[in-house]
Amino acid sequence: KMAAAGGLRRAGWRLWRGRAVVRCQHYPPLRALQASAALRRASDEHKKEPLTSSSQQHFDSPPSDHQPEQEPQGPHPSYTGQGGQESEDYESEEQLQHRILTAALEFVPEHGWTAEAIAEGAKTLGLSVAAAGMFHSDGSELILHFVSECNTKLSKLLEKEQKLVQLGEAEKKPIDEFLRDAVEARLRMLIPYIEKWPQALSVLLLPRNIPSSLNLLTSMIDDIWHYAGDQSTDFNWYTRRAVLTGIYNTTELVMMQDSSPGFEDTWRFLENRVADAMTMSNTASQVQSTGEAVVQGLMGAAVTVSNAENSRAVR
Amino acid sequence: RGLAAGPEMHFGFQTVTEEERREKIYHVFETVAKKYDVMNDSMTLGIHRVWKDILIHKMNPCPETLLLDVAGGTGDIAFRFINYVRSVRQRQLQKKLKHHQNLSWQEIFESYQKDKFNSLGDSQVVVCDINREMLKVGKQKAQHLGYSEGLSWVLGNAEELPFDDNKFDVYTIAFGIRNVTRIDLALQEAYRVLKPGGRFLCLEFSHVSNPLLSRLYDLYSFQVIPVLGEVIAGDWKSYQYLVESIRQFPPQEELKAMIEDAGFFKVDYDNLNFGIVAIHSGFKL
Repeated sequence: KMAAAGGLRRAGWRLWRGRAVVRCQHYPPLRALQASAALRRASDEHKKEPLTSSSQQHFDSPPSDHQPEQEPQGPHPSYTGQGGQESEDYESEEQLQHRILTAALEFVPEHGWTAEAIAEGAKTLGLSVAAAGMFHSDGSELILHFVSECNTKLSKLLEKEQKLVQLGEAEKKPIDEFLRDAVEARLRMLIPYIEKWPQALSVLLLPRNIPSSLNLLTSMIDDIWHYAGDQSTDFNWYTRRAVLTGIYNTTELVMMQDSSPGFEDTWRFLENRVADAMTMSNTASQVQSTGEAVVQGLMGAAVTVSNAENSRAVR
Repeated sequence: RGLAAGPEMHFGFQTVTEEERREKIYHVFETVAKKYDVMNDSMTLGIHRVWKDILIHKMNPCPETLLLDVAGGTGDIAFRFINYVRSVRQRQLQKKLKHHQNLSWQEIFESYQKDKFNSLGDSQVVVCDINREMLKVGKQKAQHLGYSEGLSWVLGNAEELPFDDNKFDVYTIAFGIRNVTRIDLALQEAYRVLKPGGRFLCLEFSHVSNPLLSRLYDLYSFQVIPVLGEVIAGDWKSYQYLVESIRQFPPQEELKAMIEDAGFFKVDYDNLNFGIVAIHSGFKL
């Protein structure tokens, strides 16, 4: 029994120490002995898959202005400062929040990206519905969490494919096919949530969320280019980013409007846009290319509008 | 009497023992109970209603939330909670109906029957107060305003709640924690009765940091409020106590530290009206 109390005390001490808090005079013996109600010991759960670099985004909304940052925003989603020791014993608040948001995703098709979905998710973890109060009522964190998870999945997929190529078990795809498959794979992850996705897009465009959502988007695009490898395309880095971002965004918009079976219209649109980009790379200067990337974007928007017109006309 | 009493504490600007403080505070609220709401309106020029609305909005309760409102006396928070949950529930039912537009009229009728007796969606609020007089006023108000279902009134001490562990989804204490003699005990009790994932919310007068505003606020507090107390409620001393107790109460950061000490996580506060009032929030994780 003494050993158990000692263990708890040590765990509590580490938990306390990890919080970068200034108020030394408030060291509470009480906290050290209290086992947390919901934060689990990391050893109890199966080891989670290690997060790759593209998913270590911090999108939790920052605490209010008057309050200093409690947790240093480092690469690890846990209390840092002591080399991540704390995460051995108890999961951090952030990890618990991740678990809640992951659990909430299954309720999104029914409730949308809302606090209700988060409350249902919290319930499945055995927590009170009031835990949804930890997040914004517009569902921002839930959506950003989902996007981040999708990007991670895409990274893993591309990495696996790259390994296969390196081992000689698969053919290296030509660049247009590679881009097409990567964007398609990423967009397919939206299919279960496609009905509520327009709502999510509008939330991602809120000024408060733009830094995070833009960050997630660009790192995903960069990731795809990274795995596309060293293929001569005549693009410079900025143009590559702009071109692929344009292709991705416009295809996403088209997908929202697409009612064809299996989204075949969307994939055909994607194929055409990628082909345009390839043609573009074989012509004139890079300044012109960037300009043409903009034109591509306009064309995509025009296609979306005309599809919307058609569907409205049909009804 | 002084020997048996205990450590020295403050009662407003006076120094008293713990026992004396409890007695004095009980007496204050016994006296003001009947005029409590009127005084709130006149002292804060009705703004206390907005503060309480903001508290409930921040809580954003969904139907099936179990709320414990401590020091809830005359029921302001409880009634607002019920209103909010009712409207959320109505919206939920409307959305459900929209999805059921392809049902037969018979099935729609049957779904009405099922939901008719569930206008609150299983939410409940328990109002707990240490003062019998305040509870009496609260119950009368409830009857008068027509609140009946989902409401319970319990006599209890915030430092020693008569409830079991891990029972409630949300714990609120609005303008009450200032009157608790051992705040740390009250916070520990709050932690105990909350479910894992449950939320602690505290609405209380706090410290104004802006110096100009602080001067005006002090002027208003010490010159106007006790006078209002005498004129409206016939009780100068109780309102003198009120104003002094606000000054004695720990400021935002200190209260935040105390809440963290009780074991709560993600503790945060929002200043309303430049710090005249603050809402502290914490989660039992």
